[in-house]
Amino acid sequence: MNAEHEPQPDQAGADLPEPDGSRPESAAPRLAAEAERRLSPLTVVTTAIQHGRSAGLPVLVALFAGDFNPWVLGGTVLVGVLLVVAGIVRYWTVRYQIIGERLEIRSGLISRSRRAIPLERIRGVNVTSTLLHRIFGLAVVRIDAAAGGALQQEEAKLDAIATAEAEQLRVELLRRHSLLVEHEAAEAEEPAAETEAAPAESAEVTYFRMPWRWYLYAVLSPAYLLTPFAVLAALFGFFNQFIDAEVIGAYVIGQADTIWGIVTSRSGLLLLTLVGVVAAILVAMPLFAVVSYMINQWQFTLHRRGEALVTERGLFTRHSVTLEYRRIHGYELHDTLVQRPWALGRLSAIVTGLGGSTSRSALLPLGPRAEVERIVAQALRPFHGKLVAHPAAARSRRLFRAVVPPLLLAGCAAALGWFWVAGGLLAVAVLGVPLGMDRYRSLGHGYDGEQVSVRSGSLARVQATVARSAIIGWRWRQSVFQRRAGLATMKATVGAGSGGYDAIDVDFADSVAFAHAVTPELLAPFLAASAAGAADQAADTSGQEGDRSGGAGA
Amino acid sequence: MTTVQLRPPKNRVSPRAVWLWTVTDAIEGAVTVGGITLTAWAVDTARWGWLPDWLVDRIWWVPVAVACYSVVKLVVAPRWRYRVYRWEVTADVVYTRKGWISRTWQLVPITRLQTVDHTQGWLERLFDLATVEIQTASHAGSSTIKGLPEAQARQLSEELAARAGQLRSDAT
Repeated sequence: MNAEHEPQPDQAGADLPEPDGSRPESAAPRLAAEAERRLSPLTVVTTAIQHGRSAGLPVLVALFAGDFNPWVLGGTVLVGVLLVVAGIVRYWTVRYQIIGERLEIRSGLISRSRRAIPLERIRGVNVTSTLLHRIFGLAVVRIDAAAGGALQQEEAKLDAIATAEAEQLRVELLRRHSLLVEHEAAEAEEPAAETEAAPAESAEVTYFRMPWRWYLYAVLSPAYLLTPFAVLAALFGFFNQFIDAEVIGAYVIGQADTIWGIVTSRSGLLLLTLVGVVAAILVAMPLFAVVSYMINQWQFTLHRRGEALVTERGLFTRHSVTLEYRRIHGYELHDTLVQRPWALGRLSAIVTGLGGSTSRSALLPLGPRAEVERIVAQALRPFHGKLVAHPAAARSRRLFRAVVPPLLLAGCAAALGWFWVAGGLLAVAVLGVPLGMDRYRSLGHGYDGEQVSVRSGSLARVQATVARSAIIGWRWRQSVFQRRAGLATMKATVGAGSGGYDAIDVDFADSVAFAHAVTPELLAPFLAASAAGAADQAADTSGQEGDRSGGAGA
Repeated sequence: MTTVQLRPPKNRVSPRAVWLWTVTDAIEGAVTVGGITLTAWAVDTARWGWLPDWLVDRIWWVPVAVACYSVVKLVVAPRWRYRVYRWEVTADVVYTRKGWISRTWQLVPITRLQTVDHTQGWLERLFDLATVEIQTASHAGSSTIKGLPEAQARQLSEELAARAGQLRSDAT
């Protein structure tokens, strides 16, 4: 009931799946087995409360509605006892132990399960503690591990152990993990993962601690700025569950004359109230934004522990995320149209095995770009190259795509006689001009000998920088329209983050040369040098008989 | 001025693939035309007020146009796709080109392969063809080679899996 996984029957411990059984056991560094450990006894309390929380409201309602009759009272007591028993069972049955190269977690009372996680498959160990856990000095340890291919992912959870012990477990798991990985790397005579010179194992360097001023940037963070509306919507939904809308509707209709009277006689007062409400929302928006931002990002710190970057944040629930350097293949710099005039940006890591989880890959909150870049230079590797602008044809394409679709829709709306809609769409089309121009200005790609960087977007702009060694392939896509302009969209595929990063509307021939410069071994066998004028660059890479015959007929 | 360009991959798929794609497209087209015909029929019977009259009066043009497009596509697309579709496996790289109107070129280094699958759907079995799926750590970096003769596909996938095993690094 503890570890979130399929219960796996314990076959007398004989045939535990060992996915990496091929590696000779004797050659591995010797790692002693540690003593078997249990969850904290306080787990009994936290488990009961955690489970009880969801049952709390219905039970209270039943108590009041049932006028505390003995059946309901007895039932409540029974539920309470069951909750405590569940906690005791969890405490009693869950054990974990580090044995040599694996972490074993045993759980279950009747159907016992035993799970072994090979330490070298561990991708991250995260320690989180919610407010409830912190009251009792506990923390939850989550272990992310690769399962099967790198696409699969499994997660084990120890809920909960004492904070100090959790920290200790994390350090120990990661220490053993890195020992195993280094050993394997040395065995295979591979170049070590390209990170900077490794400092002493235990060294802890703090790169960033959130200054006070940074909390105010919440005002420029759209997600947080819109929280009051989200809160209002949530409240509305909450009350909606208790209030019958039809009854209110009927009441309003019944009182229509009175209401109309108020509206006509006290229109001044009504207007004043309306203005007041709008003003209150306008004041509340930035205030709410800053407060919720503080709760989320409280004392955001970024530091290095051994061979990993660790971020910590949160006021009530403290999140701690460990990202190993071995899994970090690059970083993304995000900014939006609103943030750009203030030169702000947000940093996140491109990490294997996190998928699209944006909150866990965050390295820095929104802050001044110069400061962010300074920290990139310290903690990661800065991009030294220049971004090359894309050809002029890319600008026409950006403009076309920003302006023409709303224009067409406006035409349709006008044809249908919806003139208001048509007008709105026309305005959108006009705004598309600066938007398209800005999108074109954002486009760029570059290579500094070690890292590839691509940038795109306008309302939300992203610059992704990826290590050369992390690029696991290339893909070009070319539509008919791109072919006529000699353009293509080049994707550098990466086994981390979103899986690939696009250079949109690059010159096809130039981008092939670019990819060749980055990964010569990949491209070299497939290149055909051709003395070509500017006119011939138009994407006809085949140069063979029938390949293009159909192309003209499109 | 000398520029470098990607040359097309060396191998074509089996010519039988043209017929496989024709059948697949025919089924797909029939379903689409059927759906649109149903919609057109609904519009014709219901005659909703918010739709302009000129549209409702000519609603049957829509399925007819789509049907015509489907037929033309049925004749043109598979042949065209066959001409574009190429693949090549060198010592280190799997290189494919596919598409018809829009085209995709893809390079996948064999060192980064994680799984190589060999699949055969029921239609493919009818034509004795098969698909080789190549997966890397990145979804976008994964590739497929469709329309290979069954025996060749099997051999290729085994070969690739063996070579990936030899060359395999961390694969991410």
